[in-house]
Amino acid sequence: MTLLEVQALTKEFGGLRANCDISFNVHQGEMVGIIGPNGAGKTTLFNCISGLYPVTSGRIIFAGRDITRLKAHEVARLGLARTFQVYAATGDLTVEENVMVGCFLRTRSRSQAMARAKQILYDLKLEDLSHYRVSELPVAAQKRVTMATALGLDPKLLLLDEVAAGLNPNEVEEVMANIKHVHSDLGITVMLIEHVMEMVMKISHRIVVLDYGEKIAEGDPQSIAKDPRVIKAYLGERYVREHGGELSPSS
Amino acid sequence: MEVLRNALDFSDFPRVDLCVAALVASFLLIFPLFHFSSFAMATMIQFLMFSLYGMGWNTIGGYGGQVDLGKAQYVGIGAYTTSVMLIRWDVPFWVSMPVGMSFAVLWSFIIGYPLFRLKGHYFAIATIATSLVLKDLFEVWDFVGAARGLEISPIKYHPPDFLRLIFKEDVYYYYVILGFFFLGIFYVNWFRKSRLGFQLRSIKDNEDVARSLGINVHWAKVKTYAIATAFVSLVGSFHACYIKNIEPEDTMSLDISILIALMAMLGGAGSLWGPIIGAGVLIPLKSYLKEWLGAKAGLVGIDLIIYAVIIMLISAVEPRGIWGIVEKARRRRSV
Repeated sequence: MTLLEVQALTKEFGGLRANCDISFNVHQGEMVGIIGPNGAGKTTLFNCISGLYPVTSGRIIFAGRDITRLKAHEVARLGLARTFQVYAATGDLTVEENVMVGCFLRTRSRSQAMARAKQILYDLKLEDLSHYRVSELPVAAQKRVTMATALGLDPKLLLLDEVAAGLNPNEVEEVMANIKHVHSDLGITVMLIEHVMEMVMKISHRIVVLDYGEKIAEGDPQSIAKDPRVIKAYLGERYVREHGGELSPSS
Repeated sequence: MEVLRNALDFSDFPRVDLCVAALVASFLLIFPLFHFSSFAMATMIQFLMFSLYGMGWNTIGGYGGQVDLGKAQYVGIGAYTTSVMLIRWDVPFWVSMPVGMSFAVLWSFIIGYPLFRLKGHYFAIATIATSLVLKDLFEVWDFVGAARGLEISPIKYHPPDFLRLIFKEDVYYYYVILGFFFLGIFYVNWFRKSRLGFQLRSIKDNEDVARSLGINVHWAKVKTYAIATAFVSLVGSFHACYIKNIEPEDTMSLDISILIALMAMLGGAGSLWGPIIGAGVLIPLKSYLKEWLGAKAGLVGIDLIIYAVIIMLISAVEPRGIWGIVEKARRRRSV
């Protein structure tokens, strides 16, 4: 079943085309990676899908509903949650309170929101941090808290914007375990923007590659790693050499 | 049930806070027994009134981070509704107060809905403007006495009149406003833990994040603005019965708006105790400065200079006010 359909999406800022005629589908239960060089329009794409930016043209269908013109909070209520690349979560709230903000979408009751938040923090192995203020935590932990907060919305689809950027290999492992838990145990469809290739290649079922606002490739990780356009635009030849791409790029 | 439990539950504060709070509360309860001067009594009533104004302001301005400098218009709506209804139709305070509150809340929706399209300084300036416009309207509106204002003459009533809130001795007023003061604390204690309170704190930090967490940012602000307004209007109604003489220049002046915001910011915006601390520091300071420097030494306007200095100090040293300093010191000790 198709959960998200992006049809010919275009987003312009004045004369600048940040997203140009992008189309792709995300199926229920999939894990889709979005990669591309800096400035390729990945975050803009997320902002359009989650309703923060009005799109210039094109359509976005989520769970059978046209959400192109919906506002961000309406999109979130339908079950589409996201995290932010730079997100110092609400600084003077504790970790648990931050997650509660998310949980309050589905309940008015404080005790229910709190119980749900505790459960999420436990699932993501963050319960030790519950009572720290988010501003006191290192970046790695903050990023995991943003994931936990998004889970509070009880989403069908979760958009993760660079949750592993700037983390050390151990932390990347932890985040990866969290994403796998969200995906397979909670059954949430995941779409992630990521620069950490080791991670995105390992866990994605399918990868969409953007460059200069356009979709230049789409496919499973193996074929993406061998795609000459992707190598030229983004991966670079070194990555292919090191990660056993036995084909040398033709161009 | 859960609402009540949350309102009465202060257990997330450190024990020191609760001890101090209990001490202050008991002092407030027995204060009239000490027979201080009537000047001290008047100052205490002012302190309680401004604490309540500050608590109201704190919901939208502190937890929500929307600096509102137009609260005087709602003081006016409350005060005028109660005065007009009492003078013209002999309606008691306990009826006119909720009526005034409804008018104020209605007006706050009319004002708040378009105004919250603005952000930051623009929002603050727009609130000042609407408040001044309403004041000017009241100054030419004959029905409410225009610029002369309204006077409730106590001779017509038989004090102590608990229905109309007409008393001879200030101690009655003191206990009435003290009752509202405690209710106000319970309300804000519930508010800060409620869904709306959490949403507002998230909005204060980052509106885009709040939106993507499913929060209708605009509506949450408008709702909270109405809550803040209800507080202010209630105290405005009380003010009318207590002062018995209201005029636009006095009740709805920009000074009042600024004082309300200043109170909460000095004490600590976005904390439960902040507005009370702020009022506790500023109101005695204001009264005594006026009395000593203004009346005795002839230094009229010195209080305004001092407010200005306080504003500069808060913004330069600690934007979270006195409570911010306390919390910082506390955290440094615990680390």
